[in-house]
Amino acid sequence: MSEIAFPIELIRTLSLALIITSVMAVEVRKLRTAAWAYMMQALLIVALLASFGTANHALYWWAATALLTKAILIPWVLFRAIERTNRLEVAPLVGFAPSVIVAALLMIGFYRLTHGQVELLAPTELAREEVFRTNLAVASTVFVLGLYALLTRRDAIKTVIGLCLLENGVHLSLVSLAPGLSETALFGIASEVVVTVFLLLYVIEGVYREFGTTDTLRLRELQW
Amino acid sequence: MVSAQVVAAVTGTPSALPVAIFLIPIFAGFIILLGGRRHHRFCQATALLTAAAMAVLAAWIAAQVLAGAVLTAWGDELRVDALSALVVLVICFVGLAATIYSIRYLEHQQLLDRVGVGRAERRLAIFYALFVWFLGTMTWAAVTNNIVMLYVAVEATTLTSGLLVAFFWDRRALEAGYKYMMLLTVGITFALFGCVVIYAAGAATGALDGRDALMISHVRGVAHLIPDRTALIAVALLVIGFGMKAGLAPFHPWLPDAHAEAPTPVSVLLSGVMIKVAIYAMARTVSIFFPAIPTLTVFAVGLGVFTMLLGVVLALAQDDLKRLLAYSSVSQMGYVLAGIALGTYLGVFGGLFHLLNHALFKALLFMTAGAILYATGARRVSQLGGLAARMPITALCFLVGALAIAGFPPFNGFFSKLTVYLALADAGLWWAVALAVGTSLLTMVALIRPAYRVFWGEAPGGAAALANVREVPAALWVPMLALAGGCLILGVAPGIARTLLHHAALLLATLGI
Repeated sequence: MSEIAFPIELIRTLSLALIITSVMAVEVRKLRTAAWAYMMQALLIVALLASFGTANHALYWWAATALLTKAILIPWVLFRAIERTNRLEVAPLVGFAPSVIVAALLMIGFYRLTHGQVELLAPTELAREEVFRTNLAVASTVFVLGLYALLTRRDAIKTVIGLCLLENGVHLSLVSLAPGLSETALFGIASEVVVTVFLLLYVIEGVYREFGTTDTLRLRELQW
Repeated sequence: MVSAQVVAAVTGTPSALPVAIFLIPIFAGFIILLGGRRHHRFCQATALLTAAAMAVLAAWIAAQVLAGAVLTAWGDELRVDALSALVVLVICFVGLAATIYSIRYLEHQQLLDRVGVGRAERRLAIFYALFVWFLGTMTWAAVTNNIVMLYVAVEATTLTSGLLVAFFWDRRALEAGYKYMMLLTVGITFALFGCVVIYAAGAATGALDGRDALMISHVRGVAHLIPDRTALIAVALLVIGFGMKAGLAPFHPWLPDAHAEAPTPVSVLLSGVMIKVAIYAMARTVSIFFPAIPTLTVFAVGLGVFTMLLGVVLALAQDDLKRLLAYSSVSQMGYVLAGIALGTYLGVFGGLFHLLNHALFKALLFMTAGAILYATGARRVSQLGGLAARMPITALCFLVGALAIAGFPPFNGFFSKLTVYLALADAGLWWAVALAVGTSLLTMVALIRPAYRVFWGEAPGGAAALANVREVPAALWVPMLALAGGCLILGVAPGIARTLLHHAALLLATLGI
């Protein structure tokens, strides 16, 4: 396996771009633009999976599945829900400038942590190779950025985008951690995300109709 | 390590039962959607038939497992041992009771008022389709042996129940539904990460090939080869993920909202069954590493004790009967966790016994709360009073449930709580014993006080306000009486559950048998 030359430079470039799209999806307040950023990220994931596929042909299937679910179906339901509710995100709990700084710190900190301590997550020889190190570091960074969005964003649609980033992070890690995963498991994971996002947005549209807002802090019917 | 050898020694018997028990409800759901749009009787009949078939299959599975078999299907993809059989039994029998209960409950005028007459009929088809899918996905989670499919199945239970929680589609229901789906999906994504780390670590030991490393039963055998720190990361992710779904504090805030706002038959399944499936998933996966990390025990017992205390304190503050019961579920899951987390045979036995018992009495209590809502339209303790004379069966059932959950003999909660106390004492964790006993006393206060007020206290509107209140129809009280009977039988003769619990406990107990 290790003799196969990965297109390392390409993978690195794609990984960097992936992180940038995550930050955009979190920080941009125009929801359509954030959804576009998410879609870009999905396309980058597809490209990344395809470039890993030179060594492991099973990953071509993943790339195709990711294209359908992440780059087509999820953005489609996102755009539809944004049209039906607010186009502008409800102001988050953290202001733009501090938020970008926090995101950048998280990004650098987590990337370095995972890149350096990769054997904690993946006790395999293979996974310690540079490409897989990079992949796991990117995966955990996207995961943390998603979590950050979930914790600090009040807008319900934005929390869904945060959730999508969280899922993307885990799915990216599968490339290094679980390359032998069967197609059924893969199909289960991929389709579940689409259904989750669809149902959540469906409920959020209901919330918007009843409450007149997508601000999650205004959901205060149930306390204690 | 004894149990690992036991697991390895038992080779599976190929059987169609594990497949049937989750595919039948999945198909039934589609049939309901196709045929039930206009005929609500068809939906009800199909759902009832499905639930009954599942109960029969569950009994059949349990009988075979008790005879010493481990049922497998699709290679080793599905695997039913004593632990799975226990969970399947709980799902199917409480599921059947909830289905019977739902028939009349959802025909009630209140539902039509809240949802709208035109919509109610259409909603009923969707309700029953989701309801049987919910049952099906839960049994799937209980029978799968594939660690990634376990995640898929547990997340599928969230997806099928999410719209059931938001069923009424008004402000309260939508808020509960949003929180429910969002928090549980975020949580379960952590669990997926944990499952993937286990898989990767199992594959990396070199002792398993890629496919076998997905099988929980195989990974158990090589757990000692997995580095401690990797195991710790996996365990942390799994505890967050499945723990959130199981309603463990501090991940519980979704639970009272969802369990209280869902229609009562769904509350019965959420509190009675679903959180048990989550704790099952957690026990299955985390126990892989139990022998390796002894400090995990104290941490997990601490989490359990914290959960039981916080749950009961919050329950004490509730006026809404359904929210009170929901918080009490949080508290009771603490006992289940504390028992299972000990890792000793006695602890696991007690934890699993309490899991079974809690399914019975919490389902019963939610049904009685639903019956009160059905008869009076109110669910706040302060709005109720003097119902005992009007609703004697409901009063009796509530009292049985309250005494059982508080751990009074001769009801089932007494034995399971006692076993957990003894196991904690046996492990030398006296602080945990003290807190667990204290929680039990508070549980008694939390449940008996509202019971007294609602059934024997003075009605807020005087006797005239009760003029139109009468006992709920038999279709509601029959499942209630059945569950109350179950609480009594397991309390008087706990031996009948012993063999199954014994085998299930052997599978999980890894310390000091």
